[in-house]
Amino acid sequence: MSPHLRRLVLPLVVFGGLVLVWEMAVPALRIQQIVLPAPSGVVRTMVQTAGPIAFHARHTLVTTLIGFAAAVGLGLLLGFLIGASATANDALYPLLVGFNSIPKAAVVPMLVMWFGIGAVPAVLTAFLLAFFPVAVNVALGLATLEAELRDVLRVLGASRWQVFRKVGVPRTMPLFFASLKVAVSSAFVGSVISETVASNAGIGYLMAVAASDFNTRLAFGGLFVLAAMGVALYGVFAAIERRITAWAYAE
Amino acid sequence: MGEERRCAPPHVHLNPPGAQTAVAIRDVSYDYVTNGRVTRALARVSLEIERGTTVAFVGPSGCGKSTLLKLIAGLVRPTEGAIAVDGLTVAGPLKNVGMAFQNPVLLPWRTVLDNLLLPLEILRENQDPRAPARALWGERASALLGTVGLAGAEHRQPRELSGGMRQRVSLCRALIHEPALLLLDEPFASLDAFTREEMWELHQQLRLQREFTGVLVTHDLREAVFLAQTIYVMSASPGRIAHVHRVSLRAPRTLEQLYSAEATALIRDMREQIRPSRRAVA
Ligand SMILES: Nc1ncnc2c1ncn2[C@@H]1O[C@H](COP(=O)(O)OP(=O)(O)OP(=O)(O)O)[C@@H](O)[C@H]1O
Ligand SMILES: [Mg+2]
Repeated sequence: MSPHLRRLVLPLVVFGGLVLVWEMAVPALRIQQIVLPAPSGVVRTMVQTAGPIAFHARHTLVTTLIGFAAAVGLGLLLGFLIGASATANDALYPLLVGFNSIPKAAVVPMLVMWFGIGAVPAVLTAFLLAFFPVAVNVALGLATLEAELRDVLRVLGASRWQVFRKVGVPRTMPLFFASLKVAVSSAFVGSVISETVASNAGIGYLMAVAASDFNTRLAFGGLFVLAAMGVALYGVFAAIERRITAWAYAE
Repeated sequence: MGEERRCAPPHVHLNPPGAQTAVAIRDVSYDYVTNGRVTRALARVSLEIERGTTVAFVGPSGCGKSTLLKLIAGLVRPTEGAIAVDGLTVAGPLKNVGMAFQNPVLLPWRTVLDNLLLPLEILRENQDPRAPARALWGERASALLGTVGLAGAEHRQPRELSGGMRQRVSLCRALIHEPALLLLDEPFASLDAFTREEMWELHQQLRLQREFTGVLVTHDLREAVFLAQTIYVMSASPGRIAHVHRVSLRAPRTLEQLYSAEATALIRDMREQIRPSRRAVA
């Protein structure tokens, strides 16, 4: 088996094994379905409620991606600013770190107070969680520019702006794309947190409702969907990263 | 940012440099300040570099050789004294300089050719009259690669090259815009002995063809003797010029000449001059 295939197949085998153990443990240990449903039951419920699940999944995806896109924009801007200017670095970096150490879930009630229940708090929470990794990685890429390279260009009459464009930006791209997969996962966490607390749509909302109805199967169904979406989002951006920054890996 | 970077401020009175003087260094001292602590890296260095020659700076580690190169390039400003290039006081980064370092920093996302063309891209963007016509770029790059034994490497990626090959590309990048001044900071230090000697011969050949002024920082005394017309031996920190040697081996020089009585005596002298100041540091 090729190493590539191995890395794909082995985790799937382990995963399948765990599901199988779960499936058999529930009747064998006489666990009530309301406490822990068997995976087969969960899947059956998921198929029955496929329509609503798809609607809520789409909603979660859209809020995540909007928050994520805004985070990428601001993260890039902040990262470039901090990486390019020592003054901006001194002024903003401590604030950024301080801000990042606030547990974002605590911000959700505030957002609800201002924007009401709905998609806006979810988008904003996604945004708040996602912009930090982007900003930090971009700033790091710029700050670690080799002094020799900068000197070589400066003595040709290159302006700081030219050094930034020709060397700083491309050099930062691998770090930027590496940060995207982290940021998209964070955005996803953010929007789901907000949905469980204060929304009327989205998988988070669906799970909160299912839990309050003691519909354990549906709650688990939501969890399955979240897991799949999280892996897919991460996978997409990991693939984009590999595609775009092939040179950084070939070293 | 196309503003004039070099102008002679009225309070600096430099002797009118002879037409032959490319670089004039007058009483230059330099202090590094880190967290309020002042380190004097250079103390009252004065010298003149004649156009079209190569001078070498040798001396113990930490004596300020790299700092002196940065000062000449205008990347840092003297704490005291002044430096003039072509008769103009250096007040900011020069614009017609090629630099190469021990670490050949190439851009990994560009091919060899695109790495080489980077200086020309900058010149063109700045509408510098020295930028050759776009149509000539490829030809010029290929010719230069040919002279360093890398013909046909245009479309290879830097990561596919050996350390010595990268070093040669880095040297080509320093030369592609035909700079009047070439500043080299231990550019051959990471090469094996044979490649290094090839690079010496290449450097000499290029200098005879193009007549640039070269400033070489090196730890290799044989290298200094082979490449330089004048060698400055610096003392340990703060760096001063301790000794000056003229190297009178006839041009074009050959590696054989390094075994001549004159060259070996010179190398021995310099070694004796550097050794005591090394001890002083340790
Ligand atoms: N950025 C810096 N900040 C503070 N001190 C510095 C800095 N760069 C160099 N120095 C100090 O200045 C002195 C001269 O350094 P420099 O790099 O010019 O030496 P050098 O002769 O090039 O040494 P080497 O042969 O090891 O390359 C040293 O004592 C060094 O510690
Ligand atoms: Mg040095």
